[in-house]
Amino acid sequence: MNVLVTGATTPLGRAIVDGLLATRNVGHVLGVGAELWGPGLPSDGTRFTYERVDLTRARSVHDLLYGPARARGIDTVLHGVLHRAVRDRGDHIHAVNVEATRMLLHECGRHPGIRRFVLRSGAEVYAVRPDEPNLLDEDHPMVFDPAAPQWLRDRVEADLLTCAQIGTARISIAVLRCAEILADGLASQLWDYLGSRVCLRPLGFDPMINLLSIEDAVAAIIRGLAADARGAYNIPGFDTLPLSRLIARWGRRDLPVPGPLLAPLYWLRTRTVGFEFRYDLNLRRFHLGGILDGARARASLGYVPRHAMTGPAPRAPS
Amino acid sequence: MSSTLIHRPDVALRDFHDEGHGFDVFGLHLPTLQRTLAVCGRLCDRYFRTQSFGVDDIPREGAAILVANHGGALPLDAALLCFDVDRATGRILRPIADRFIPSLPLISTWFARTGAVVGTQANVGRLLERGELIAIWPEGADGIAKPLRDRYQVKSWRVGHAELALRYRVPIVPVAILGAEESWPVLGRIHPLRRFGVPFVPVPLLPLPLPLRHHIYYGPPITLHDDRAADAADDPVIVAHAATRVRLALCDLLRDARQARAGRLA
Repeated sequence: MNVLVTGATTPLGRAIVDGLLATRNVGHVLGVGAELWGPGLPSDGTRFTYERVDLTRARSVHDLLYGPARARGIDTVLHGVLHRAVRDRGDHIHAVNVEATRMLLHECGRHPGIRRFVLRSGAEVYAVRPDEPNLLDEDHPMVFDPAAPQWLRDRVEADLLTCAQIGTARISIAVLRCAEILADGLASQLWDYLGSRVCLRPLGFDPMINLLSIEDAVAAIIRGLAADARGAYNIPGFDTLPLSRLIARWGRRDLPVPGPLLAPLYWLRTRTVGFEFRYDLNLRRFHLGGILDGARARASLGYVPRHAMTGPAPRAPS
Repeated sequence: MSSTLIHRPDVALRDFHDEGHGFDVFGLHLPTLQRTLAVCGRLCDRYFRTQSFGVDDIPREGAAILVANHGGALPLDAALLCFDVDRATGRILRPIADRFIPSLPLISTWFARTGAVVGTQANVGRLLERGELIAIWPEGADGIAKPLRDRYQVKSWRVGHAELALRYRVPIVPVAILGAEESWPVLGRIHPLRRFGVPFVPVPLLPLPLPLRHHIYYGPPITLHDDRAADAADDPVIVAHAATRVRLALCDLLRDARQARAGRLA
């Protein structure tokens, strides 16, 4: 198996590259990113190479797949590029999140050597409602709220456009909807939320939260790449705990506040301090919870979460 | 008798599926349940002086569905049933709550910590797959805050419990709870308050329930799945028929229980 990994310069991308290189049946890994080079990427040129590519341009995507990818015998593609900053919006962000996925998927479908395409999606695409089950399976309704931020709408669109190809494409396609990974640089809303010394929580609500460790995410993605199973798969994490416990474990102060006050308070915080956490994005989750049901991934991919989160880590310098 | 969960937690732990932080996936937390059962125990024994009959009909292991009648201004009967099942069998009863419950501040969290689960097919199916004991009130919210003239009359009757019993091939135990209707009569319901999705707000006649004796009667288990395949749960006629069978069994149990209570009072 020779794998192309987009978003290779992110913390998760680097971990996936390391995990793939440690896997026996992986021949070559071609990392792709928007940066010149990612810190921490392996320098071994025999099994790993890196290409700087702008995935928002159709010509670049085509040349990547028919140039370096074909030369290295790439047969499997992992796409995990999603813009991380919640506040950013506009056509370019949409192109990064959605158009890049569309073009990559289209070119992979035509490519003679590629047999497998895996999209790394997230649990945020699911709509959490009080009348829906606590456990979110792959058929759970998704967020189609036109008032949702572009950050979320783009993720749902990228997920759905990939799902729409599952039944018709020549290649086998899988979408892995991962639970939230609590780490810096991975667009984790909870990471930013817990970055504050005082965490405001809706009064009277203490939802159950599920968290995925990077080790489990890497294991699930490698299993997803190696398998031939088509479809969407939830990738839950090992840790399931109430929000208040998570706040306490992170050593933060838990302050319950009446729900209607939270959105303006966090809006003010975003405006003044510049943090990424948006309460409107997390409102449903902070009231109702919602845990990914990993039964399908367990049955089809053999994935079982094994690694607990390692605890609070110091914030990386920006 | 006192709570098994408090004095012999190892017995009740058989039904608890810890996700690693002391909570199950639905939010059940044993220390919170223990504290709640301690309060329920006092309420059950000293205030309502609850007596139960036919506890041998509650399955000691494996999945089963208790189907009970609702009554009173607030669902105190559910709390009494949870405590009664705990002390009689040592099992954790998972009450199935209405779908507006998760929207209620404080109550939603307390319900989740004490084992209540929102009544969706997927949630309840997961509990039954894990072999847990659940309690369903098929009358739903309509069962509480009934006028006194309608006491112990089963009005609306949902069929989800029958579908689940057929699909997961588990027995149903009818449960008649007497005392709730008389102890806390209601004047009526206020309907327009839909702030949290609550269908109505009951207006009780008294600020607190009267300390009347409660009786809990467990009927013999009903197996709906005998001679039927699991896909019978998809046939609406079979499901409706099965639900009617359970309803009739509960109505018979209620009638017999009221007669027995009248006999004892006489």
